[in-house]
This record gives sequence, C-alpha cells and structure tokens, in this order.
Amino acid sequence: MFLTRSEYDRGVNTFSPEGRLFQVEYAIEAIKLGSTAIGIRTPGGVVLAVEKRITSPLMEPTTVEKIVEVDRHIGCATSGLMADARTLIDRARVECQNHWFNYNEPMSIESCAQAVSSLAIGFSDSSDGGSAMSRPFGVAILFAGIENGAPELWHMDPSGTYMKFLAKAIGSGSEGAQQNLQDNYSPDMTVDDAVELALNTLKQVMEEKLNSTNVEVMKITPEKLFEMYPKTEVEAVISKLQQ
Amino acid sequence: MISAENFPEYNVPGVVKHDFHPYESNGGSVVAIAGDDYAVIAADTRLSSGYSIHTRKQNKLFKLSGTTVLGSTGCWCDTLALTSLISARMKMYHYLHQKVMPTNAISQMLSIIMYHKRFFPYYVSNILAGLDADGKGVVYSYDPIGHCELASYRAGGSAGALLQPVLDNQIGLKNQENVAKDPIPKEKAISVIVDTFISAAERDIYTGDGVIINVITKDGIETRNVSLRKD
Amino acid sequence: MSILAYNGGCVVAMRGKDCVAIATDHRFGVQGQTIDTNFQKVFQINPQMFLGLVGLQTDILTVKDRLAFRKNLYEVRENREMTPERFAAMLSSFLYERRFGPYFVEPVVAGLDPKTSKPFICNMDLIGCPNAPDDFVVAGTCAEQLYGMCETLWKPDLEPEQLFEVIAQSMINAFDRDAISGWGATVYIIEKDKITVKTLKTRMD
Repeated sequence: MFLTRSEYDRGVNTFSPEGRLFQVEYAIEAIKLGSTAIGIRTPGGVVLAVEKRITSPLMEPTTVEKIVEVDRHIGCATSGLMADARTLIDRARVECQNHWFNYNEPMSIESCAQAVSSLAIGFSDSSDGGSAMSRPFGVAILFAGIENGAPELWHMDPSGTYMKFLAKAIGSGSEGAQQNLQDNYSPDMTVDDAVELALNTLKQVMEEKLNSTNVEVMKITPEKLFEMYPKTEVEAVISKLQQ
Repeated sequence: MISAENFPEYNVPGVVKHDFHPYESNGGSVVAIAGDDYAVIAADTRLSSGYSIHTRKQNKLFKLSGTTVLGSTGCWCDTLALTSLISARMKMYHYLHQKVMPTNAISQMLSIIMYHKRFFPYYVSNILAGLDADGKGVVYSYDPIGHCELASYRAGGSAGALLQPVLDNQIGLKNQENVAKDPIPKEKAISVIVDTFISAAERDIYTGDGVIINVITKDGIETRNVSLRKD
Repeated sequence: MSILAYNGGCVVAMRGKDCVAIATDHRFGVQGQTIDTNFQKVFQINPQMFLGLVGLQTDILTVKDRLAFRKNLYEVRENREMTPERFAAMLSSFLYERRFGPYFVEPVVAGLDPKTSKPFICNMDLIGCPNAPDDFVVAGTCAEQLYGMCETLWKPDLEPEQLFEVIAQSMINAFDRDAISGWGATVYIIEKDKITVKTLKTRMD
C-alpha cells in the first residue's frame, strides 16, 4: 500500500483516486504496534486476555488497564493508543448507562459497538470544530458481553467497522494468534478451556515470558457477568500450561 | 405595610387581559388488569368537553407493539402528541437496536418522556398494559409528570377514583376474609372490567357510550366491544 | 383545600328490603394529622332513625345539637315521634337558613318510618338541597370511591345480612383509597324490630 502513497495520505476526509482513506488505513496499521489482545466466545461465556507491556521494572503493572468493565454485562479489551481507548471506553460506558436510564434494560452489545463506532468515525480535520477528533482513533476494541443470557464477542477497528466473532485476536501478535485460535477453537469448549487457549495463544506470540503480572484475564458469564481473574487464578492457569 | 402589591387590582377601562388556558379535560376512563399470562386493558369511548360530547366512538387504546397497549385519557390533544412521539421513538429504537421495544423499556421511556415536560406537563392519565419478557402480564400506571408504578391492576382517568376501590375489592381481594387468593382467570378479569365501566357510566358523566377492551396474550391482541349507556 | 375536607371522614347509607343501613368511619383529623380514631359521625336521633354528618367537626357537633333541640321541640309540641321524612325536611330548611354562611356539613339521614316502617334514606349538600333516592346515598371525602363501590355492589331488595356485607365492603374498600377517612368503621342496620350495631376492624393507616 505504501507504493501509492501520495498527497492523499494527509487529509482524513479525502479519498485517494483509488478510493482509499490512507489515514484510516494507517490507523489500522497502528493497532499492529499495540499489545496483543484475545477474545474467545464459548457457549458458557466470553473470555478476554491481553498482554501488558511492562516497559520498566520501576513501573507499577496494575496501572496498565487494558481490560475494562463497561457495564455489568459488557467488558472490553483494547489494543493501540491507550489514551484514545479511554475516550472510546468512556463513550461506551455513557451510552450503556444512558440506555439503561432510558429503557430500563441492559444495552445490547451490538448497539454498544455501534455507539462507539459513531464516535470512532466522527473525525474530521476541518477547522470549524464540529467533530470530536481531528484524526481516526488508533484503537481496536473487543467487546465481550451477555445479551439475553447468550455470550457475544464483537470486534471494532479504527474505521468504525464492527463485526461479531467466535474468537478474535488484535494487536502486534494478532496474525499468529488468530491462526492459532482458528486451529484450536471448537464451538463446544468451556470457559476454562477458553482461558487456557487464550493464555496459550498469548504465550506463543508474546516476546516476554508469560506471567501473572504481564497478562490480564477476564471472563463474562450469564451467571456472574463481568469478572476479572485475580492474580492467583491467572497464576494457576499459567502453571497448568507449563505442565 | 403599604406597598404596591397590597393594593387591589382595579379594572382599568381599555385594558384587555389575556389568560392562557393550555389545557382541557376531555374525560374518559381506563382500567387494566394483569394476569399470569395475559393483560387486559379497557377504555370507554366517550370524548367530551364540558357538557358536550365530541364523539361517542373514540378509541383511547393505542397498540404500541404486539405485546403492549397504552390507554391514555385527559387532555386529548396531549394524548395525541404524546402517542405520536412514543411511536416515533419506538420506530427509532427498532431501527437502532434491531428489535421491537419490550414492555418494560416502553414503560421507562414513557416515564422519561413525561418527566421531560416536568414544568409544562402532558395533561394525561396513562396506563400501560402488556406482557413482560417472560410473557407475564404487567400494568404500569403514571401521573402526568412521569411517576411510574408497576401494579397488577389499575383504574385511571375521570372515573379512576370510582373504579380503583372496586378493583381493590374484586381483583385484589382486599378486605375479604376466607377467600382463596387464586390468580384471576382472564374471563373473570374481563367481566369485572365490564361491570366497573357499567358502574362508572352511572355516576361519571365523562364516562359512557361504549368500552373497547384489548386482551393481550402471547397469541396477540384481541379487541372486544361492549355498549354502555349513552346519556 | 375545601373546608369540608379539613377533618376528613365519610358516611354512607343504603336501602334494603324493609331495612336501611348507615355506616360511618372512625377518623377525626386535622388535614393529614389524625387526632382521634374513635370519632363517630353517626348519631341516633330516634329509635329507628340515624343522622350521619360529615364535614367540619365543629359544625358536626353544633348541627347535631341544634337539630336535637328542634326535633325535641317538635316532638313535645306535636306529641308524636318525628318521621325521617319530616326530620330531613327540617334539616334542609335549617341548613338553608344559613344559605350565605353555611354550616360546613353534608348530612345523611337513614331510618324507618315509626308507623309504617317504610325505609327512608336522604342526603343533602351543605345548604340543604335534599336528595332521597331508593338505592344509596354517600357523603364525605371519599364520596367518589363510595359511588363506585355502591354502584357495583348494591342490588334492590337486599336482606339485612346481605345489606350489611354490601355496606361494609363498600365503606371499607372506599375509605382504604382515601388518606383522611378510615381507622375503623361502624355499621347500623335498622330493621322494624331491632337495630344491629357492628364495629368493623380495618387497616389503620
């Protein structure tokens, strides 16, 4: 794609003669620099697992928050520019609460993704100040949620495109991870199987050695909704993997 | 204390005063009863203004979805404005969320729509009847500024005060000793509703002419008509 | 708020087959504050005639005493018992005397004619406009609720026991939907040869 690079890659709202929006494509590329995040949907719930890059031993690892609760029935994993992720997650949270306030029911996962997507594509470099951002967001998001008792996994990229997945990997190791998920995913796996598969996949694509401080795991189930895995449980799964 | 506001206002010749009367009561009553697997809602068909009758055939029940019916009385123009806003909002919800709005979502939305006009309210008495997500009958009643209450039976509108104690007694089985508190069968609920309207038509001049009854079950909404006295 | 609803309370009277019934609640309050839960608004005027008064409590007591005075005067002058019809007529003219400064009461009269035992019920507005129907009369802060109940439950030619059930259910369910009536009720069933007084326990809130 860099062969056709031209003046057209400057404006975010100008198509190239070939019909491309370079800034959006570059934003999608930016995700590939981000840390790896994995989502797996099983009949019993959805699992999200992310890699946390601990860039310095003096850094406090718990302050890297890559999996967040959006509502009790929706959790998100992000990859890419963390500051942009914050903005999108804030929007998702507001939209979920708004929906609950207006309709007294949990927001559907798709509607939540749709609401975030509206913000994600609301960029423009015009100077009249009408839009939230002057460039596309450099974030991809995995939405894990429970809708009418059924688990769902959605993925959204910086172009605002959102789609439903059974299993999805995003971030720097996404290509290898996605292949691994495709090879090992089975439709009838349990949540525990999914946690193992997710961590195993991370283990293969991460540069660092997998341990309980450089990953975050979350599961969302119809019974208990959003739950982060405590450090001890992550450790238990990791030691199981090493056997 | 002698000050300007303590003096009476004298009518000065040539001064024309205009008062703003934005509301009118067009009368009408609504009764709704919820059962285990049904909800019945009924409203009379008289639309009046003071001592004159606009029409004897006004339906005051609004089918909002396959499982939800709103009964609305009071200031009829407000009812029309409110119900058209509700159906527009329900269409938007349908397009945005790809599903028909469930009864409890409608109940919450209605409350918020009403409260948004807290200081210039819709002058209407609303009763919402329908089936919830589990197929169980529910009735929600509202005041004009959006207070919403979930009930199993409710009377509202111009004869609401006459009918509510009758429902307490016949449906809620209040103040009755040695009676089994069994669920009320659908046909019993319908016959109590018809009886209450016959009583209301005797004493409330704003209720009469006829009753339209909507019976909401999982199979759909059935409409029945009953005549009332027309004087 | 209307001064008639200052103290709260309600009375209902019904006709049955050769009998009448009159019922009262027990509350006396000042707007929302309950002062007394045993204030009965029905008074026995004659062996087979009762008067119920709702409205401003001070006027209830005054009207009751003044009517007793006039009725006693009538009876000693005429040397015969006053019929409910006569009593109602006297009450009506008594109230109309105060046409422009009325007693804030709404009366209900129920009784049997002392000679013919014909049932009679009657109510009035505060300036004495009489209304004597052949089914039931209501008065008080929950009049609307009472109309709804009575209209649904009442039938012609009820026997005394049935009449008691109908009037009791009408009264209780009506005042349960009124914050300033209730706190118990008393029902009087007036028959040719006996008067039955029943006190009803109800919810006290």
